[in-house]
Amino acid sequence: MSGANSVVNTDENGAAGFDLLRQLNDEIAGVIDHVWQSLVQVSDGERGGGAGTIWHSDGLIVTNAHVVGNRSRLDVTLPNGEVLPAQVLALAADYDLAALVVEADGLPTIEPGDSKKLSPGEWVFAVGHPWGVLGAVTGGVVIGMGGQLPELPQTGRDWLAVNLHMRPGHSGGPLVDVRGRLVGVNTMITGPDVGFAVPVHVVKAFLKEALKDQVAEAV
Amino acid sequence: MAEVLTSLSDAMAELVETASKSIVRIEARRRLPATGIVWSADGVILTAHHIIESDEEIQIGLPDGSTAAAVLVGRDPSTDVAVLRAQGTVSLTAPTWAELDTVKVGHLVLALGRPGDQVQATLGVISALSSQWQGPQRGGGRGRGGRRGGGRGRGFPFGGGDGGERDNVIYRREGGGQQDTFVQTDVVMYPGFSGGPLVGAGGQILGMNTSALMRGISLTIPTPTIRRVIETLLTHGKVRRGYLGVTAQPVKLPDNLAQELDQEVGLMVIAVEPDSPAHKGGMVLGDVLVTLGDEAVENVDELLSLLRGDQVGKALKARIVRGGQVQEVEVTVGERS
Repeated sequence: MSGANSVVNTDENGAAGFDLLRQLNDEIAGVIDHVWQSLVQVSDGERGGGAGTIWHSDGLIVTNAHVVGNRSRLDVTLPNGEVLPAQVLALAADYDLAALVVEADGLPTIEPGDSKKLSPGEWVFAVGHPWGVLGAVTGGVVIGMGGQLPELPQTGRDWLAVNLHMRPGHSGGPLVDVRGRLVGVNTMITGPDVGFAVPVHVVKAFLKEALKDQVAEAV
Repeated sequence: MAEVLTSLSDAMAELVETASKSIVRIEARRRLPATGIVWSADGVILTAHHIIESDEEIQIGLPDGSTAAAVLVGRDPSTDVAVLRAQGTVSLTAPTWAELDTVKVGHLVLALGRPGDQVQATLGVISALSSQWQGPQRGGGRGRGGRRGGGRGRGFPFGGGDGGERDNVIYRREGGGQQDTFVQTDVVMYPGFSGGPLVGAGGQILGMNTSALMRGISLTIPTPTIRRVIETLLTHGKVRRGYLGVTAQPVKLPDNLAQELDQEVGLMVIAVEPDSPAHKGGMVLGDVLVTLGDEAVENVDELLSLLRGDQVGKALKARIVRGGQVQEVEVTVGERS
């Protein structure tokens, strides 16, 4: 763990670069392995749906509002293949976020990152089920973050623009940083190589509001 | 712990942050602002010609969030380079520029832009490089690559094939400017990225990105071209280009002449503009231009590259074939307005 030198092992052919690339690949695979553990499918049991991320081990799941849509029935498929019926806990169309609950406990969760501290040029990975391909990954960099991105309506709400190949079915799934921390919820694309995610700080605010209502109802 | 991955990611974010100190926003068109790069700390700013719709009331947005007025010094549509000068006292940081000699196809590069307050970034790789490239020209470049075609043929996305087909895919009619190297990348040109830099792994700026010279292709105007154009624009306010006043097309020379001249193809003059340098020099319809200033001309691209700005005002010997006879006339290169 003493900087880059410790991972560069020049072999007899001087192929240090290959070792570096191999290590890079292994590390990316490690990050993705970790993300898969809390990645779910959200569907109505018939048509293809979207993705979601386990937020809390008690069965709280975050996805996009447009993944939930007006489906009368919602199933969540856990990483171990178990299919559970889900209830909508809260839904905010203007944030395109939804919180679902399934009856479960001890589910693997993902650590939230700090989306406000993301810098342009940083690496990120989006995971989901594009075109029904389960757990597919796309990698790229952060283009920018904030409420002023040129392609979006200037509502002042924060978005995370990312330079990777997001596709339908990635929706609702996790966008993670290089440490495997959740930094956003994959939401939409404006071009073949430009995607947008709702930053995790917006997700937190949404959940705080949603759970407050739940607590109020319970009392 | 993802050591290499985090180091790579951190290094890229740091590289963006460092370069961002020299990246400004340019407000010179009605829709989205675009990007500019500080050329020198005394106020010279580089941007893309095509993003300047109005040369009045140009504003630049600085890295510290402030704005300043700027005036247009000059622009060169052929290379899509424009030069602005910031007005008043502004604090600018010039970046480090690099030549392309250490850059290889496959290298990671970042494109940066500042269409808003913050700098934005996209990632890609160098897709193609070649040693010499002349931008496509509307109506020109009908001939095959010929002897100079090597640079254009290799790595050219349209195969360096027949010029007519190429013309269909060319968007900017002003093209045709000479570039020192052809640099194509696969970076996404996010809205407002034109005029922004291509940044290499060392953090140096390799050139200026433009999406306007070729549709659907991210091209980078390399540092040597930028330097040459900026110096000319700062001196003359425009890039001078030579002018003859002929329309011409390649024709095969008869065998005996080909042997005599050691050249198989010449350019047949199919129109001469009245009072043009060619007209004044005595060139007429039907003449076949073989050499200009002792340089062989076998296609329109070669003729254009002989008509560089520094040739303006020079009297050049033109060897022509007229009525089956080789003759010489003298033309004084004019300046294209």
